[in-house]
Amino acid sequence: MTEHHGSSHAPGEKQGWADQRWFRTLFLSVLVIACLAAAALSFIPEFQKEHPHFTSENAPFQTEEFPGFFALYGFIMFSLIVLVGQHLRKLVARKETYYDERE
Amino acid sequence: MTSGNSLFAAIAMNPAVILTVGAVLCVFIPAALRRFFMLAFVAASATQLYRLGLGNFGSLTIFGETVTMLRIDALARVFAVVFHIAAALNILYGWHDKDRASAFATLAYPAAALGGVLAGDLITLFVWWELAAIASVFLVFAPGTRATYVAGMRYLAIQILSGVMLLAGILLHFAETGSFAFNAIALHDPSGAYKVSGVVMLLAFGIKAAFPLLHNWVQDAYPKSTISGTIVLSIFTTKLAVYSLARGFAGAQELIYIGAVMTFFPIFFALIENDLRKVLSYSINNQVGFMVVGIGVGTAASLNGAVGYAFCNIIFESLLFMAVGAAMFRTGTSKATELGGLYRTMPITMVLCVIGAFSISAFPGFAGFVTKGLIIDGVAEQHLFWIWLALLFASAGVLEHAGIKIPYFTFFGHDSGKRPKEAPPAMLAAMVISAALCIGIGVYPEPLYALLPHQEQIANYNPYTLPHIAEQLQLLLWAVLAFAVLILLKWYPPEVPSANLDTDWLYRVPGRAVLRWATGVTRVLWITCWKIFQGRVVRIMERIYAVHGPEGGLARSWPNGFMALWTAVVLGLALVLAFFA
Repeated sequence: MTEHHGSSHAPGEKQGWADQRWFRTLFLSVLVIACLAAAALSFIPEFQKEHPHFTSENAPFQTEEFPGFFALYGFIMFSLIVLVGQHLRKLVARKETYYDERE
Repeated sequence: MTSGNSLFAAIAMNPAVILTVGAVLCVFIPAALRRFFMLAFVAASATQLYRLGLGNFGSLTIFGETVTMLRIDALARVFAVVFHIAAALNILYGWHDKDRASAFATLAYPAAALGGVLAGDLITLFVWWELAAIASVFLVFAPGTRATYVAGMRYLAIQILSGVMLLAGILLHFAETGSFAFNAIALHDPSGAYKVSGVVMLLAFGIKAAFPLLHNWVQDAYPKSTISGTIVLSIFTTKLAVYSLARGFAGAQELIYIGAVMTFFPIFFALIENDLRKVLSYSINNQVGFMVVGIGVGTAASLNGAVGYAFCNIIFESLLFMAVGAAMFRTGTSKATELGGLYRTMPITMVLCVIGAFSISAFPGFAGFVTKGLIIDGVAEQHLFWIWLALLFASAGVLEHAGIKIPYFTFFGHDSGKRPKEAPPAMLAAMVISAALCIGIGVYPEPLYALLPHQEQIANYNPYTLPHIAEQLQLLLWAVLAFAVLILLKWYPPEVPSANLDTDWLYRVPGRAVLRWATGVTRVLWITCWKIFQGRVVRIMERIYAVHGPEGGLARSWPNGFMALWTAVVLGLALVLAFFA
């Protein structure tokens, strides 16, 4: 999970547990299994709302009745925030001392 | 006018006054004992709050108007309780801080916020509102640098502006209704048009709640304070505003849209921000946005949600601030680019931070889950489809900047090579209690539910229904998966040191362009006008010269006294000038 930039830690130092391969593999496996399980739950009737709030009469889409909607929405929106949001830098980012120079 | 005794009794019974007295006295207590003394005053105030129970106290008739200094009802009590918890945790966390002014503000500022929450009338609210502004500015000034001084003055100006607007709103409101009582405030008159009194008061509350475009003071002032000062600041002003909105403007439709904007715009600024304390300041905007939406929807469920979420947010948001603060205490920085890899030597702080992250992201089993659902369900019950989608989007955003970015860049991420010691015991203690509350409320929310204002609604509410758990887990886990994928693909943007403009972009970039354009246009217009004018003046002078000049026709009839007259005029002028000089 944690990125390696390697060079910073002291030469004799053992790699931290979060940087070791076994942890990264374990973390990712557990995450993927949990994601699949959560998505699978939404196909089971007990995990669906008896009376969805949004019906064809009051909303353009009946998203709550669509199994896996929340999983898909979470994944897409998170990616969108990160991939689109970073371009805000082009508009508003200045060098770190920008305000200091004016005060 | 009321007799002096009853006035004194009405003031002395107020828990907020007890805290204020403690704040003043603690300045004279030796540093070694000061924090014990402060905790004792918080305990005394809490005891007084408990002893009074629900009801109105300290009603006085002053100049023919009834003033209720103390109103403890269900809505006020929730905030009063959490303010006490927060005040105690802040004192504990800042145990190392020996600064007198900070200690004063650490008690006086919560006291003022508490007084505002317990105020039964608008005049009392106004007094505490201003005291909160003045007491809190000491925390902004606390580091004692020029940058914090200037930021403090900006902060104070904006807070006082909010107070002045509140006062104007109160007076207009009084002129219309003849009452200073602080209850629902009408935003519209019967014909549907906006009322000035309501709008002005909404804006006054809006400044303190950091509505979009009125929010800059939060990111400007809060991250500049000391480590413990930032945590104290992060709690009270915005939550006092949330309380005031819930009291005055519950069900105001405008708040739904204002709140929705508040939930999603800070997400993007938080994403690109390098200073993690600033990231959390944006997080405050986002979190208050959820509460504002809940207040705008105005149903029993959503109001319970807004108030309950404010309670929980105070705890987990400050837990996150505390964790970043602890890292800063040990490393001297809160910048993502200079942190990372601290999990090796600060494992306890890391675990506590992750608990805060789980809570703010509203994972089942944590404090956020049992209260945020009320707001989002409240929106769904009103069939506000787009708002509902916006809140889900914002929930993914919360996970990004508060749930992942804060713990990841502080404790994991790229290894900064820093190997600081674990946080000091007092900081750890404050964080452990906060984390315990996050889990405690998440697992067993009933005591919190018992405090919420609409008991008839909450009695039938169960946050742990299978659909709610399944929906929330899908949303959050798949968002975490998206993060993992982006990291593996190396698509997650690296942190870069930068200063990011916010609303000041408007006047620094397009504003400057407009100004430059306007200056250019004015210059051209001026030169043109001047040329036209000058040409005319020259021609007129030529004509006058032709007629009145020495060669002119009228020069022949100049009287001899003309010269004497002019001499007198010039001498007179010289006399006047000499007199004034």
